[in-house]
Amino acid sequence: MKLKKWFKPFESLSKRDDLLIRSIWFLVIVGYWFVATSGIKKLFPSPDQVWKGFAALYSEGLVVHIGSSLWLCLQATLISIIFSLIVAYSYPIPFLRPLPKLLSRLRYLPLTGITFYLTILVADARSMQVWVLVVFMSLYFITSLMAVIKDIPEEEIDHARSLKCSRWEILWEVIIKGRMDYVIDVLRQNLAITWMMLVTVESILIAAGGLGVLIKNSDKFMNHGRIVALQIVILLVGLAIDYSLTTLRKSVFRYSKFN
Amino acid sequence: MLYEKKDIILHVEDLSIAYGDKVIIQNVSMMEHDVVREGKVQGQTIAVLGRSGRGKSTLFRGITGLVAAKSGRVIIPDYSKAVTDGLQPAKLVAEGDVGFVDQKYTLFRHKTILDALLFSMRNTNLSGKEKLEKAMSYLVEWGLENVKHQYPNELSGGQRQRVAIIEQLLSSGHYLVLDEPFSGLDVGNIKNAKASFDLIECAHELNTIIFSTHDIELAVELADSIYIVGYPKKPEGGLDTIGTIVAHFDLKKMGIAWRDGFDADHLELTNEIKRVMLES
Ligand SMILES: Nc1ncnc2c1ncn2[C@@H]1O[C@H](COP(=O)(O)OP(=O)(O)OP(=O)(O)O)[C@@H](O)[C@H]1O
Ligand SMILES: [Mg+2]
Repeated sequence: MKLKKWFKPFESLSKRDDLLIRSIWFLVIVGYWFVATSGIKKLFPSPDQVWKGFAALYSEGLVVHIGSSLWLCLQATLISIIFSLIVAYSYPIPFLRPLPKLLSRLRYLPLTGITFYLTILVADARSMQVWVLVVFMSLYFITSLMAVIKDIPEEEIDHARSLKCSRWEILWEVIIKGRMDYVIDVLRQNLAITWMMLVTVESILIAAGGLGVLIKNSDKFMNHGRIVALQIVILLVGLAIDYSLTTLRKSVFRYSKFN
Repeated sequence: MLYEKKDIILHVEDLSIAYGDKVIIQNVSMMEHDVVREGKVQGQTIAVLGRSGRGKSTLFRGITGLVAAKSGRVIIPDYSKAVTDGLQPAKLVAEGDVGFVDQKYTLFRHKTILDALLFSMRNTNLSGKEKLEKAMSYLVEWGLENVKHQYPNELSGGQRQRVAIIEQLLSSGHYLVLDEPFSGLDVGNIKNAKASFDLIECAHELNTIIFSTHDIELAVELADSIYIVGYPKKPEGGLDTIGTIVAHFDLKKMGIAWRDGFDADHLELTNEIKRVMLES
């Protein structure tokens, strides 16, 4: 009776049932993990190995490394979001429009080309890491921000015009203030790319530490338990940032009701 | 039912509007006067009817100065200037002169109702306290007092519509253009909207509402002047594909304006309008 509902397309279930379904899946996956890795020959490390890997990571200063990664991420994000906002907000101005359009297309450039020029320009490795991230994140930010601006319906612009807003006032009220919450969401949506790049970029400079360095080290030892433990940590930190950004957006902008 | 025509309040002169190369409406001319009735403050209510896609919304964007005319012009009185030689100086309409409420009741998504109303008075020379008082008096009068701190997406359609109307009243003065203000409203909402019309009409002699609708009965009941936008007949037969005014009914002249409710004369006019619309 009730079970039938669980398989009915588009059916909405009670919160309790929802939780139940999620717990079942969680148990199935974890259970499968235990069972599948219980033999002698195995492709995937067992929970026990992963736990040991985690303990080893922790004693090597996992928390410090996470802090280092977050700090790098924060620096790069701040610089690139400010730059991207300025570029994207120039989109409504006809003379400046080619700029955001061009920059957004540059995201198809391969990473290696750009890092090459950056090595010439930036001497120390730490700034190098920041700038590689800034360049790449900016290209994606600009693309997403431009999409947000393009999606603003003409009625919203006309509404402001009919209230005697000057064109600059429209830019300020409708585009900048009126879409502030979308900026946070753009950050969140591009976080996955940033996070992935971060780990790659960090392996450029071992001394600076970070999650990327830990991955690289684990690679060397072919220590599967450690790698999986690290992956889980990286995943969880990423999800935590994702969640905090959504919470931030919803608490600061009460009217921001999308997802 | 005596009335007198005074100054011209809206003069659309041979207007045509094109999007790109595609001409949507052409040769549109309208002339409306301030109507004065003895012992009563009487604004003007003008309805624009026409079948879908004939160019009502486009005409409205022209009248409100939101889209530039391809040719022709829209002239309104310039009340910022003093009367000279018994004539009110006139000017070409510019964006913001005429309030415009679109069919979707668009508002600032990031402003609460109260903030939005205060914003629409930002160019007036009222003090902060006066602005607040004025905004509050409208909110009370239009039954929006308890939602004043809510954002547009926390309001019902009817509430949004009222806010959109008040914003325009506070910002642009006497003119208000409403594109399909009754679509999607229930009987109760329509009654409220009608009441809003009355409120606006009685508030000032010069207040003028221009609205479009697909509800012919409602237009006949509310308006004192009705324009039909449609495709004119071509001399060789068939219809043209560019909209224009194909008929104008002056209900004041016909003696059936400002009646209470819908009566037999109104029904007759409704049928006449239906006929005109079907042939254009
Ligand atoms: N931005 C635009 N670019 C090109 N053509 C347009 C544009 N907006 C409207 N049109 C065209 O202009 C014509 C008139 O449209 P308009 O919206 O003015 O009609 P309408 O009378 O308001 O119709 P409805 O009753 O369905 O709202 C239509 O054929 C439409 O396709
Ligand atoms: Mg329309």
